[in-house]
Amino acid sequence: MSSGQSDHIRKAVAERNKRPLANKFMDWIRDNPEGGIFIMFIAAQAAAIIFGLLFPDQFRYLAPANITVVLKSIAPLGIMALGVGILMIAGEFDLSVGALYSFTAIVCATVSNNLLGDVGEAEASAVAPFIGMAVALGVGTLAGIVHAFVTLRFNIPSFITTLGAMLIWKGGTLLYHGARALRFKPTEPFATMFGGEVGVVHASMIWFLIFCVIFYYLLHHHKLGNHFYAVGGNRNAAVAIGIDPARTKYIAFAIAGFMATLSGIVAATRVGSIQPGGGLGMELQSIAACVIGGLALNGGRGSILGILFGTALVFTIQDVLLLLQAPAFYFEMFVGTMIVIAVIMNTAVRRAKA
Amino acid sequence: MASNTEGSSDWLYEARNITKKYGSFTALDSMNFHIAKNEVVGLLGDNGAGKSTLVKMISGINPPTSGDIFVNGKKTEIRTRSDSEAAGIETIYQDIALVDSMSITRNIFMGREITNRFGFMDHKKMEDVAIDILGSAVQISGIDDPRKEVGFLSGGQKQAVAIARAVHFKRNILLLDEPTSALSVRETEHLLKYVGDLKKQGTSSVLVTHNLYHAFMVCDRFVVMSHGTKVFEATKKDTTIEELTDHVIRT
Ligand SMILES: Nc1ncnc2c1ncn2[C@@H]1O[C@H](COP(=O)(O)OP(=O)(O)OP(=O)(O)O)[C@@H](O)[C@H]1O
Ligand SMILES: [Mg+2]
Repeated sequence: MSSGQSDHIRKAVAERNKRPLANKFMDWIRDNPEGGIFIMFIAAQAAAIIFGLLFPDQFRYLAPANITVVLKSIAPLGIMALGVGILMIAGEFDLSVGALYSFTAIVCATVSNNLLGDVGEAEASAVAPFIGMAVALGVGTLAGIVHAFVTLRFNIPSFITTLGAMLIWKGGTLLYHGARALRFKPTEPFATMFGGEVGVVHASMIWFLIFCVIFYYLLHHHKLGNHFYAVGGNRNAAVAIGIDPARTKYIAFAIAGFMATLSGIVAATRVGSIQPGGGLGMELQSIAACVIGGLALNGGRGSILGILFGTALVFTIQDVLLLLQAPAFYFEMFVGTMIVIAVIMNTAVRRAKA
Repeated sequence: MASNTEGSSDWLYEARNITKKYGSFTALDSMNFHIAKNEVVGLLGDNGAGKSTLVKMISGINPPTSGDIFVNGKKTEIRTRSDSEAAGIETIYQDIALVDSMSITRNIFMGREITNRFGFMDHKKMEDVAIDILGSAVQISGIDDPRKEVGFLSGGQKQAVAIARAVHFKRNILLLDEPTSALSVRETEHLLKYVGDLKKQGTSSVLVTHNLYHAFMVCDRFVVMSHGTKVFEATKKDTTIEELTDHVIRT
């Protein structure tokens, strides 16, 4: 089977593998959108740390309190972005994840509280919060499957399906629960599993990293991940080769719904209550994190590392602006600018490689 | 010929009385077509004659509106790509069917990844095989990295990847829809010779081309299509390039 051509390729591959590690790293940075975002993340961190050292009183970036807060609050966005990102790679959007985040968290808390899962109960139940969580995750996953069904059955853009779904889940939350906040103070061991801390690292952060690892293996090493890229990259080619795009997209939508729910529950456990409007805007932030992390808006491209860096960068910016006591709209303006810059950069990287 | 429920057992594949409609437009009209063992069929015809439609019908991604399909003489439903894969049919599509954002290796194994029993991919093995097959059917120059994104390849290189993939997975029948449209003279010769070799190894082919000289070099039988039906059919010894040209132009 082997031939001159194969030997030539083998030699070239071996040649490339022999490069020093530093060169490989530089090539990686140059060839991948994640490379650019990695540089930007490091630069942002370095700047924040330098200013934190120079002006420790005005800019409390390095204060233990700030570090603790960052490690506590980054996870919900990251967990949501993982689901949104996988769906984006498969070529679809979910704008409803923010609304779903609130709706399913309320489902979880309501079920748990009704089954005496609140720490304040006289005969508090230890399993109730887990039942609440299981029900909520079921609802969230089912919601994703419904989004997929409507999108694929009627062959309409998921942008529209989930824009509608966003309004429906938002209204559904108000209809089902009303606009008041809902208490969620679950019993042990749930409280520690999702709200505890290991040193300065909050449990939510650990869950985020666990899911990064799981999705890394799913996306980059499992054949299902390969199918996400294929279907998102060129649907017709995937069909021609025998991959079922509908099945693949159903799974991706379900993952987005599942992760939005998990994100809502993790956030609710940390805060101890749920604001029915709390998730609104997060759908755009998570899409922003993905795009900044190098995922292509039209599918087929991206990586878990990119989503991780993207989330971290969005979050660093939010944190810095909070520390500077900038009004909230600064953050939105900044994220808006970042999205555009990120897409310009990713496009440039691709063009330079061609 | 044989009855309604049985095809000839000498034929690997037979499509009988196939009609394919796109809405009100009839792309294939009561078409009969077969592929025998150990032969290369040349499928000819003007632009829009229905050649690609027939190829996609055989490969299952464009199932017929009506008509019967026989595989090895047995009536078979081929309505999806999985059905045709089960029948041992592999296709090089005219529009190439590669994913630009994925690497060469991943394109070759897309949908047929080499995995362990939990579905996790064996990247090393896939890359090794990819390198092997990139050197077999066409030896396109300039490909030296199986991890390169297909979107960055030239038109001919892309076509070479599509050919390598189909050739690697083929079993009984290989369908080639204008496979040489982007290849250099040298690569074209190489591929045509390869199609001849495959026949000796027991894989029949259907070659769609507008180049009658290429067709005449490797094909044993010719089918000329026009407006969705067969207008002429002859074995190589019963016809000439001139006659074929005449039929392609005239109809
Ligand atoms: N998906 C489709 N929907 C509607 N009409 C189609 C579709 N695909 C093909 N057709 C029509 O069917 C006819 C046959 O097309 P086909 O692609 O099979 O031609 P062809 O013989 O392969 O031509 P060429 O040599 O240019 O590749 C054409 O008139 C084309 O416009
Ligand atoms: Mg064609």
